Amino acid sequence: MRKVGVFVCHCGSNIAGTVDVEKVAQEAAKFPNVVFATDYKYMCSEPGQQVIKDAIKEHNLDRVVVASCSPRMHEPTFRRCIQTGGLNPYLLEMANIREHCSWVHPDKAKGTVKAIDLVRKAAAKVVKNEPLQKSSINITKRALVIGGGIAGIQVALDIADAGFPVTIVEKEPTIGGRMAQIDKTFPTLDCSACILTPKMVDAAQHPNIEIISYAEVDKVEGYVGNFDITIRKKARSVDMNKCTGCGTCWEKCPTKVDSEFDMQLGKRKAIYTPFPQAVPNKPVIDREHCLKFKTGKCGICEKVCPTGAVDFTMEDELITQQYGAIVVATGFDQFDHSVYGEYGYGKYPDVITGLHFERLVNASGPTMGKIKRPSDHKVPETVVFIKCVGSRDEAKGKTYCSRTCCMYTAKHATLMAEKVKGSKSYIFYMDVRTPGKGYEEFYKRTQGEYGAQYIRGRVSKVYPKGDKLVVRGEDSLLGRPVEIEADMVVLASAMVARSDAGDLARTLGISYDKDNFFTEAHPKLRPVETHTAGVFLAGACQGPKDIPDSVAQAGAAAAKAIGLLAKSQMETEATVSQVDESRCSGCLLCKSICPYKAIDVKIIAERVGGKTVERQVASVNKSLCQGCGACTVACRAGSLNLLGFTNEQILAEVEAVCL
Amino acid sequence: MITEKMRDVAKDLLTKGEVNMVIGWEKGTFWYNSTPVFITKAEDVERLVFDEFCTNNLAKYLLDYKTAEGKVAIFVKGCDARAVNRLMQDQQVQRDKVYLLGIPCGGMKEAAPGTQPQATEGLPLVEKCQNCTSPNPVVFDVLLGDQVSVRDTQNRFAAVEKLEALGTDEKYAYWGEMFDKCIRCYACRNVCPACSCRECAFDGNGLNWLGKQNNLQENQMFNITRAMHVAGRCIECGECERVCPMDLPLMAINRKVIKDLNELFGAYEAGMDVENRPPLGQFKLEDPEKFM
Repeated sequence: MRKVGVFVCHCGSNIAGTVDVEKVAQEAAKFPNVVFATDYKYMCSEPGQQVIKDAIKEHNLDRVVVASCSPRMHEPTFRRCIQTGGLNPYLLEMANIREHCSWVHPDKAKGTVKAIDLVRKAAAKVVKNEPLQKSSINITKRALVIGGGIAGIQVALDIADAGFPVTIVEKEPTIGGRMAQIDKTFPTLDCSACILTPKMVDAAQHPNIEIISYAEVDKVEGYVGNFDITIRKKARSVDMNKCTGCGTCWEKCPTKVDSEFDMQLGKRKAIYTPFPQAVPNKPVIDREHCLKFKTGKCGICEKVCPTGAVDFTMEDELITQQYGAIVVATGFDQFDHSVYGEYGYGKYPDVITGLHFERLVNASGPTMGKIKRPSDHKVPETVVFIKCVGSRDEAKGKTYCSRTCCMYTAKHATLMAEKVKGSKSYIFYMDVRTPGKGYEEFYKRTQGEYGAQYIRGRVSKVYPKGDKLVVRGEDSLLGRPVEIEADMVVLASAMVARSDAGDLARTLGISYDKDNFFTEAHPKLRPVETHTAGVFLAGACQGPKDIPDSVAQAGAAAAKAIGLLAKSQMETEATVSQVDESRCSGCLLCKSICPYKAIDVKIIAERVGGKTVERQVASVNKSLCQGCGACTVACRAGSLNLLGFTNEQILAEVEAVCL
Repeated sequence: MITEKMRDVAKDLLTKGEVNMVIGWEKGTFWYNSTPVFITKAEDVERLVFDEFCTNNLAKYLLDYKTAEGKVAIFVKGCDARAVNRLMQDQQVQRDKVYLLGIPCGGMKEAAPGTQPQATEGLPLVEKCQNCTSPNPVVFDVLLGDQVSVRDTQNRFAAVEKLEALGTDEKYAYWGEMFDKCIRCYACRNVCPACSCRECAFDGNGLNWLGKQNNLQENQMFNITRAMHVAGRCIECGECERVCPMDLPLMAINRKVIKDLNELFGAYEAGMDVENRPPLGQFKLEDPEKFM
């Protein structure tokens, strides 16, 4: 007979408030195989864990049930606890009487009944638990950073400084990301480029960092510690080894194209680097617009290149490399405000977004830093800023707050006041949110010293009148309509996830939320990890973030990656799928259903009718298996079993609850 | 005449030693029976026949010769051919171990037991052939006879729709009555080309997913589980319903699952080829379930 101990946690009043924990312990003591049951205020605390360890010794327990919170929260804690108490860590079951019970049921009597049922279920299962062993795998001591914005650069620098090789894969021809587009940074008004470009150079010159720009992650195979990553180097049409970045080609190129970097406000050539400080400072040919590719004529860049670096025949190149850790730092896109009819559906050229404004005010931007409105290049004197465009709008936009807009709008108003003397900024807002060091002070200065007029209310309509834009809205504090004739309107568009975030998430096998931001493993305690081991998050790809937060998170993600790479071997999960070869018919339905490619075919030999015959069976790679259980339900014969969640264990639970 | 061609090609294959066995049909005890036959000698080929009573799906017999030396030739109607694909997709039969003799099939017929021989023209088609979507073999090495045209299959789901129209209680009562009759002989499973496990989940002596008692509850569990085990893999050969000694409308369950799968995951016909995986048997990045 098994000797099961049951430990019921109060979780302060979290559980004890809605569940009669003493009664749960009393009832649990009556369950089959249970020889000891008790309750304690905080089971996870040190004295709480001591209660468990003492009871293991005193009552000779060989199985433990902890009735407390979700196993997501404290299963590792209690596994360690019983391990130091002398038991195999997998001889533990948790009954989740908090998330599954006390938090969701207001009725204490009914909640107690349910808690007892949950404990009965766990006690029935734990009897069937078997000791499990982790196996270990080698770790490739190299990290991949996807995205070369400020978050990606910081991650790469931190990991590289710790002594591990890092590859940055950047989709654009240069690293730098959104921060390179930004003019000044709040709240100090440092020039963005002045603090970013040295970091870009540091990354480029770091002996441990390899930058692969104009490239994307094509395929991810393998598992934590040993990811096999296929990187697609897009055809750059310029030989990186020969090119010196002299710039003759883009000077002579006859084709002008709207610059993405300048938010279509300026022009670039068909062979181009996005901006002068690009890293690597070597151009790519935009094949969609290049005359050579469109018409077969031209080829001027090839003729003028002093080193013969231009190569029109270049093709996409796939390189495969092994990495131990992956940090995703793919950043954000801007909300497409053309869903808003009231702001002109994106039709009026002088209704621009915050990022457009950044380019207009930037000294290396299309207007050389002179703020000129896009339509007629007139210097705007009255500018209306509208906040929460696409943010905090359940009907047409996103439900969340984009976090950065209050501050950058204040910054824009400040820059307006500084650059265009005598100009006037009006800011329509819902709330002003400035939680951050020096942020509130900055906002107050914008209002006071720089005279920006904040109007609490929504804008109902923007329409052109002559060469002006009439902004009609409501001042909800005064309770009356306002109408402002503006020269330019700047929308604080929401930060949204990259349009291809879902695809990348599926390639990496990480989860993402309803807004396509990548999901962290725990919102509070594991903010930079994902549910896929070895994949970490940094920057705005996880949710809207400003630069200080992105950099801080990048450092955190780097620390996690370094923590992984610093080991030469790592343990793998013990709860993996197992094949009963005697029952397996080798149909391999499990192989085609496995999301982690952890199942392969294996040939075994057996004696049949006096002859040795060979047949195929499924075989699970323990390092790749994530224990999702998809194969175990696909297997009709039940020859696959998930250790720790075996059919026997599940059935024991069902019977405990239903019979 | 198909029968002549069958005998010729079987004789040829056996004489040349290309195959060690030919699986086909021979005339049974009654005029309305044509039963499976296993020919290993060239002189026995005269036993082979093909007529309107070769209802049996022969494909599953291939499992018996999985480890046999050499090749086995097998006659396949449309449904038999899909069954062979089923077994090949389930990796139970290797393509190079079988020689497939395709026979386009005009549909099988049935006569009331005990009746005197009569012209087959007037006899009704068996249920499984009435809405057959693939009378022509979808895989074969040689085709005997000309391709036939597909019958109007718009009533394929008529029985399902009739049952769907019932209220929940009525449905429960109907199926309760049906499964109450089930004697759990497992004939449906044994004949099914989608059932190729080494040890069936219902036979295990370890975990009792299914109790051994013959009562409504366990019978329901058995039939529902079986429907789910063949979900997306049923090739509609109708053999389960044909062999059921209690005349349970088993194809209504299978077709309901097919109909649901088509509606949920897009049109899919099991066993048309080996490459296209069943809708419930593959992992796709674009899977609508985002949790994957």
